[in-house]
Order: sequence, then C-alpha cells, then structure tokens
Amino acid sequence: MRKATNEQRDTVMARKLIRVSKKMVFTWAMLAGLIILFAPQSMTNKFQFAFSRIFHWPLSIGRNFTLLARTQDSPSDVVPRFEYAKLENHLSNLTKLLEQEHQKVERLSGLRSKFGLVGAKLVCADVITAILEGPRNELMLNRGQNDGLAKGQYVLGINNIIGVISEVTPKQAKVKLVTDRTSSMESEVTGLKTVLKGNGGNCAKVPLMSLEHKIKAGDIVYACKKPGLLEVPIMIGKVTMCKRDTQKPQLLDITVEPSCDVAGLTSVDVITMNP
Amino acid sequence: MRWVRFAVLIVVVTVLQASYIDMVSFKNIKPDLLLILMVFFSIYCNTFDAIITSFAIGFAADIIGPAMGPGIISFGLIGTLLANLRRVITITKMPYQSLAIFTCGVFIGLLVVFLAFLKKQPTAQNVYSVLFWTSLYSAVIGPFLFLPTAWLMRMKIQRFGH
Repeated sequence: MRKATNEQRDTVMARKLIRVSKKMVFTWAMLAGLIILFAPQSMTNKFQFAFSRIFHWPLSIGRNFTLLARTQDSPSDVVPRFEYAKLENHLSNLTKLLEQEHQKVERLSGLRSKFGLVGAKLVCADVITAILEGPRNELMLNRGQNDGLAKGQYVLGINNIIGVISEVTPKQAKVKLVTDRTSSMESEVTGLKTVLKGNGGNCAKVPLMSLEHKIKAGDIVYACKKPGLLEVPIMIGKVTMCKRDTQKPQLLDITVEPSCDVAGLTSVDVITMNP
Repeated sequence: MRWVRFAVLIVVVTVLQASYIDMVSFKNIKPDLLLILMVFFSIYCNTFDAIITSFAIGFAADIIGPAMGPGIISFGLIGTLLANLRRVITITKMPYQSLAIFTCGVFIGLLVVFLAFLKKQPTAQNVYSVLFWTSLYSAVIGPFLFLPTAWLMRMKIQRFGH
C-alpha cells in the first residue's frame, strides 16, 4: 500500500516537474496522430518496414507455427495438392506459351525467340508476414533493393503470378497481391484483354465484361506480357464463378481465384529482369 | 506506471497480434489483443497514464495495420473517453469489462473505417460483420487476460461480485 502511494507520489512529482497536463498530452498526441494520418504513405510506411525488419525473427517463427497448425488440421492436403497445383499451373503456362510460340512461328518465322522465363533473373524471397484478410492482401518479403527488387516487378507463387512489388526498401519489399482491393493488373481471359481487379478475401473480379463473351468457370486468366518485366503471359488463376451481374444485367460477374494457396507460401520468386 | 514493462508488453503483444494470433482464429475471426490491452489500461490506470497508453497502443495497431494514422487516433480517442468515463462508472465486474471491450471495439472499428475512407484506403465488403465478431471474440476472452496482464504490470486490480 505504501509502495503504491510512493509510486503515485513520484508520478505526480514528475508531472509537476515537467508541467504537463492531461489536456496537453491529449492534444499533442492527437496532433501527432493527425500528422501521421495525413503524411504521405511512403513516409509512414517506414515505421511498418522497421517493425518487420527488427522483429523479423519472431514474426517468421509465428508464421511457421501458424502454417504448421494449418497443415495439421488438414493432413490429407499437405503435399499432393501442392505438387498437383504446381504442375497444373506449369502445364497451363506451357500450354499458353506453346500457343504463343505457334503464333510467333507462323508470323515471324526465322526470328530468334526465347523460352518463357529461361534467361529471366529470378530472386527467391522468404515471406515474413502475409496479410490476407479483408481488402488488404499483401506479403512482406525479406529481399529488397539490394537484391535487385524494384517497384512493379512481378512475383511468382508456384509457377503463377500472385502480385507485383508495391513498395521496396533496401532490405525488404511489399507485394500487393492480385486479390488486394487496390490491385489492377492487365490480364487475358479466353484471348480477351482485360483488367483484373482485386476484390479482397482471396478473390479478384474481371469487370466490364459483356454477356456476349463466352467465359465459363474453369477458364484460365493470364497476366499479359509487359516488355522488360514479363515476356510471356503467365497464369494468375482460374475463373471460379461466372454469372449475370445482378446490379448491371448487361454485364458478367466474373470471379477469379489465384491458382495457388497464397496463405501457405513460405517463399516466392520475383522476376527482377526478363530480357 | 512501470513504463519499461509497458513498452516490453506492447512490443510482445504487437508481435503476437501480427503473427501468432491466426492460431486462435475461428472462421477468420481473430481477437484483438491490443484492444483488450487498451481497455485494461483505461480501466486500471489514472487518466493521465491511460491517455498515453491508449495512443501508444494505437500506434502499435497502426504499425501492424494497413495504414498509419487511423489506429493512433481512434485508440487514443476511445481510450481517453473510457478513462474519463471510468471516473463516473466503475468497471470492475467481468461482464461490464466484456461490455466495455465490445463497445470500444465497435467504436474504434467504425472510426478506423471512417479514417481509412478519408485516407482513401480500401475497406472490406463485410467490414461491419468482421468488426462485430472481432469485438465479440475480444470481449469474451478479454476479461480473462486482465489478470495475467495485471500480474505482468505488477498492478493491483479489484473484482467485485466473484
């Protein structure tokens, strides 16, 4: 009791010495909060990067624990499904590549061409944290500018595109997944060029697609090639639902899901250069 | 108030919330440990300390959140309100503590959504449903975490009616 009283007395004394009132502390803290709120995100993100850099080790352990708990819940899905998804995605990429190569051979016979990602520089990065809840779908990687990573580069999961680098520091990078609400990626579905918009909750939407297009569940969605970043279209995911939009009846409501379990990824590959 | 202990506790809870909390998630609904901590300090500290702890916890919530800013303001504001309210209403019984956590969770969530909207941050389609269930989950487990937190902080807490 006496100890507590002494402590309270010390606190009051300390406050008297520096003459800070409750109102003043509240005002200053609110002001700091407002400055942080309206400061550019590129500046304030440094706090988040610093936190994940300092606590990289416990955060990684926590993630591994979570993944372990998940795999123990569904022991039948562990290895075979992962391998199956990996091969299936690879097959889809190869099929699309073959189709493109055929077209090239027909049109540009005689010109030298390169095979997909052969020659591309891939940087393998470990996933520190994965945020896949609500509208925010992001991964934090343990590689950064020092390893050749830059904003806009494509990120591969298990042979499929899962997102692009959105922010990068010398040692870390943030990946905005295709399912993030602010993500939009040039894509292709059944030969039609479109934009894949993230919808949060591990799915994306293909907007503004009229009813006349023959798109069905199971169709594969590819990321369009981008000179210097992606030389061949690579699979993103599959159409899981295609129905008439209830709000805009002249359009289709197309839902796309990534073809790999992003939450279960422990490492990814970043395409840093695709000559 | 033991500020070094508080700093260590905040860091540990932030790491737990960022990385380990998925282990106790139920249908993607997770408890908010930082919210529980904020309510604990607002109930058991004096108003001056409660203001500082609320803003500090808000800052920690921002660090592991989608954007910096909404957490510090909403946690700070609601924590300060609760600390001032405590001078009028005694929140010592576990059901009242649960109710305080639930109410604070809902109001903080709504403020965060509003501030995220101001900052042009995207929000989930089912944000209100997630908000409700997260607050409820936190309210259910929160009062049981008060005792170990008080022990860690070497604080004496009183509970009536048990």
